[in-house]
Amino acid sequence: MIKRLEAAASWGQLLRGLEHRSVVSHAPRVIRRIASAYVLRRLLKAILTVWIVVTTTFFLVRLMPGNPVEVYIHTLISQYGFTYDEAANQAASLFAFDPDQPLVLQYLDYMRSLVRGDLGQSLVSPGTPVSSILLRYLPWTLFSAGLGLFCSFVLGLSLGMLMAYRRGGVIDHLLTALGSFFQAVPNYLVAIVLIVFLGVQLGWLPVTKMRGAVSPGVQPGLTMAFVADVLYHAALPVLTYVLTTIGSWMLLMKSSTLSTLEEDYVTVARARGLSDGRIMRAYVGRNAVLPLFAQVAIAAGFVVGGSVVIERIFVYEGIGFVLLDAINRRDYTLMQAIFLVITVSVIGANLLADLLYSRLDPRIRRQTAEGER
Amino acid sequence: MSNQNALQRRPRSVLGLVAAWLADLFRHDKAGFLGLVSVVFFVGLALFGPLLVPEPGKPDVTKIYQPPSLEHPLGTDYEGRDVLTQVLRGGRSIILVAVLAALLSTAIAITFGSLAAYLGGTVDSVTGLVTDVVLTVPQFPLLVVLSAFVKLDRPLLLALLIGLLSWPTLLRAVRAQVLSLKEREFVEAARALGLSTFHILFREILPNMAPYIVMSFTIGITAAMYAQVGLYFLGLAPLAGENWGIMLNLAWIRGAIFFKDSVLYILAPVLAIALLQLSLVTAARSLEGLFNPRLRES
Amino acid sequence: MIKRRQSLNEPVLSVRDLVIQYEGAGGVVQAVRGVRFDLAPDESLAVIGESGCGKTTLGLALMGLLPKNARIIAGQILYRTRDGRIYDVVRLSGREFRNFRWKECAMVFQGALNAFNPVLKIWDQVLDTARAHGLRDRTRVRDQCERLLRLVQLDPDRVLQSYPHELSGGMRQRVMIALSLLLEPRLVIYDEPTTALDILTQRAIIEVLRSLRQELGFAMVFISHDLPLAAELADRVATMYAGRIVELAPVRHLFYQPRHPYTRGLLLAVPPVSGPLTTVASIPGSPPSLAKLPPGCSFAPRCELATDHCRSEEPPLCTVGADHWSACHCWSAVSLDRRTERLGGASHA
Repeated sequence: MIKRLEAAASWGQLLRGLEHRSVVSHAPRVIRRIASAYVLRRLLKAILTVWIVVTTTFFLVRLMPGNPVEVYIHTLISQYGFTYDEAANQAASLFAFDPDQPLVLQYLDYMRSLVRGDLGQSLVSPGTPVSSILLRYLPWTLFSAGLGLFCSFVLGLSLGMLMAYRRGGVIDHLLTALGSFFQAVPNYLVAIVLIVFLGVQLGWLPVTKMRGAVSPGVQPGLTMAFVADVLYHAALPVLTYVLTTIGSWMLLMKSSTLSTLEEDYVTVARARGLSDGRIMRAYVGRNAVLPLFAQVAIAAGFVVGGSVVIERIFVYEGIGFVLLDAINRRDYTLMQAIFLVITVSVIGANLLADLLYSRLDPRIRRQTAEGER
Repeated sequence: MSNQNALQRRPRSVLGLVAAWLADLFRHDKAGFLGLVSVVFFVGLALFGPLLVPEPGKPDVTKIYQPPSLEHPLGTDYEGRDVLTQVLRGGRSIILVAVLAALLSTAIAITFGSLAAYLGGTVDSVTGLVTDVVLTVPQFPLLVVLSAFVKLDRPLLLALLIGLLSWPTLLRAVRAQVLSLKEREFVEAARALGLSTFHILFREILPNMAPYIVMSFTIGITAAMYAQVGLYFLGLAPLAGENWGIMLNLAWIRGAIFFKDSVLYILAPVLAIALLQLSLVTAARSLEGLFNPRLRES
Repeated sequence: MIKRRQSLNEPVLSVRDLVIQYEGAGGVVQAVRGVRFDLAPDESLAVIGESGCGKTTLGLALMGLLPKNARIIAGQILYRTRDGRIYDVVRLSGREFRNFRWKECAMVFQGALNAFNPVLKIWDQVLDTARAHGLRDRTRVRDQCERLLRLVQLDPDRVLQSYPHELSGGMRQRVMIALSLLLEPRLVIYDEPTTALDILTQRAIIEVLRSLRQELGFAMVFISHDLPLAAELADRVATMYAGRIVELAPVRHLFYQPRHPYTRGLLLAVPPVSGPLTTVASIPGSPPSLAKLPPGCSFAPRCELATDHCRSEEPPLCTVGADHWSACHCWSAVSLDRRTERLGGASHA
């Protein structure tokens, strides 16, 4: 345990060394420029985090009371009359590592199969690799959560800027109140209320028909019918995501825009005779939006985390839905894999946001190059 | 000379500070004041509800899903029991667990945040790394997964798990504050007086951060409630009793959402939770205004 | 060559009795209280004063860039174009302003450290300016821009492809100065052009401004608290105090024969470079709060020559010599004799 901590600390120092260019300052110029790139640093950090999560999950599962691997082997032995070897073999193929070996070797086995993409097989439906299950359900969550996040971001951004330009007006107060209200309430409660009011009480939406990711019988493919159907089914989850996250984007963009409007370069732009539209887009908008990217990670985590409950409420067959199912059936391999995938998605969203930010803000891109001179 | 400044910077008596702030709040931020009153109401309800309101009574199949009436202001549930009573009694365990979890995570955040900032070096690097990881892992799915390994049937256990996951944001904030305050004069004065690290941290630096810490604590309660109710609703935390989350779970399973008459059964806990969350968030925002008066003008 | 002497006798700018007020939390404050002056087409006017005297407000008003809580409640700002048309800047509409700004009158702000959009390259921002005024010929814009950048001693290829944060403060200021001349305006306003720059860069900027005026011939108003700067660059100097011009004179007259105690105080605060050391005197007291101005002359509380008349009646700006104006009842008693500490209470009507 201590050794692990020390190793992690030295990793941290190595990364910090990269940041201070002490490690790479003697490398040839091309490598130096690549290694100093903000992009690469972020990528390395993301990979490191994923590795830590994977390792921690692995050891947690093995060290928790009620270690599922041991329990599984015991069940096989006691209930099904397997011998130990047979049980161990079965467990090995299902869990993607050999439980017979010492812990460290098991870990290496696991890592090796992970890198190959082998996440083990489902305990409940043996013979079905976990990755195939994931591939069936993951795209739906990525689609609905991604669409929700995107719409919320874009709408929140525009509305936030509107609120800043019309500060103190009716729109400003109304949107602030609405945004804060929906943000405070847990997102799954909003989902329930949506069903109750829009579906049951007012009868506006056929909520039962809107369940699921696609209507039965609709062929997947790039046809209008399919796309329309998909959007029809994703409408309610996306609406829930948007309602519950738009508040923070609006308020953040509003305050960011307000402070950008006070910057000197906006006054100078007006002095130069630029049109209000151009100033709003390229001078205010592009600068005000930068701080929002820091929040994308949090928003992604929030949306993905909430998808577990929301997908159950709307019976939307995404990864959250499958996770619950796996838990109820104690399908440990599937559970572990899903958790991993969820975490990696959040880290991925985080990374994407950072990369986008570095592209939009030239000060970050050149930060390292400047310091080297 | 700087000694005196250090001593003069001690916060005024807590009571005086709070009273002044409350009066100011009422004048400037009616919503915040209302939120605070509401929070106090709910806490009182949680603590004293089960004592004042009797048990909902035996199941009575003749009275399933009755619409609201004088006898049952919020109608009855799937077993004929009074909904209002259940709502009044249902807050206690949720609020208690949420407060415990928030206390734990605040304690972790303050302790390790200050230590990391104050001691620096390896301690800081390790804390930073752990914080980054815990921050990135999505909290609710992790709890969901943990529920499969660990039977979440004791409130303390639930509070512990939630508390162990919600500290990163506050830790970062505490660390940043302590780092910036570390260099200020009164810390040097205290050090010159030979006061120990512990003393400096807890008597000099942290009182300056008090409003922010209270605000984070409040937000922590909100987050813990979100996690809890989610777990109850999904049926992953098999606690006995009739808290709001379990009401939601039962109502959902029984399909209360789809009958016109029974809709109150599912809406009542939703409203209760939503109102409490709203009050907490509004109260927290006012606290933010206290910490950062510039925000009040916007 | 030197482009000069266009419409010699007609001023390019005439400000008449301008009054500007701010609405704040504490009430209404008049930052500019009746300013009037004329500016000839190739003349350079320095407006000198301490912070809070209203000089920046005046500069912003000339461009119509006052903040939302400020209003021009009286007066005119008359601007004459090259073909003789006269506009009142106070009454221009939004669209008219966009044509007016930068093309007829440009402004270089104090400390151009943050004058450029951080996410756009310099060339893109130059293009923005050109496009906003209907200049679509990129080659011509590029040529003009490169010529101007060379005039300010910068390398066009390097500067135009850079982002603002890649240039030093002095370089950014010079780019701003070059950019201000892109559309060949008749009038350029400089607000504190050398403040926040190190001494070497200051010298460079002063040289640049001097040579630009010689080369291109435009009218210049520069606003500063730095009186020696006026000696280098100005044809005429106006000193401002508490929202009004208190003295206006050609530069040599002002420096050798000031006719207002405030100007005298400013001059005495700077030790002479050559000659014997004299006592350096600062003006006692501090500028009044514009919200609570004393009755009569606003400088009276700090003035050694103040009389009861001064304290009860505000002196108007009137002629005290050839092209020399002063707002002081006791103007004839003002002298630059450095060794005299007190002049006594001689009262002059």
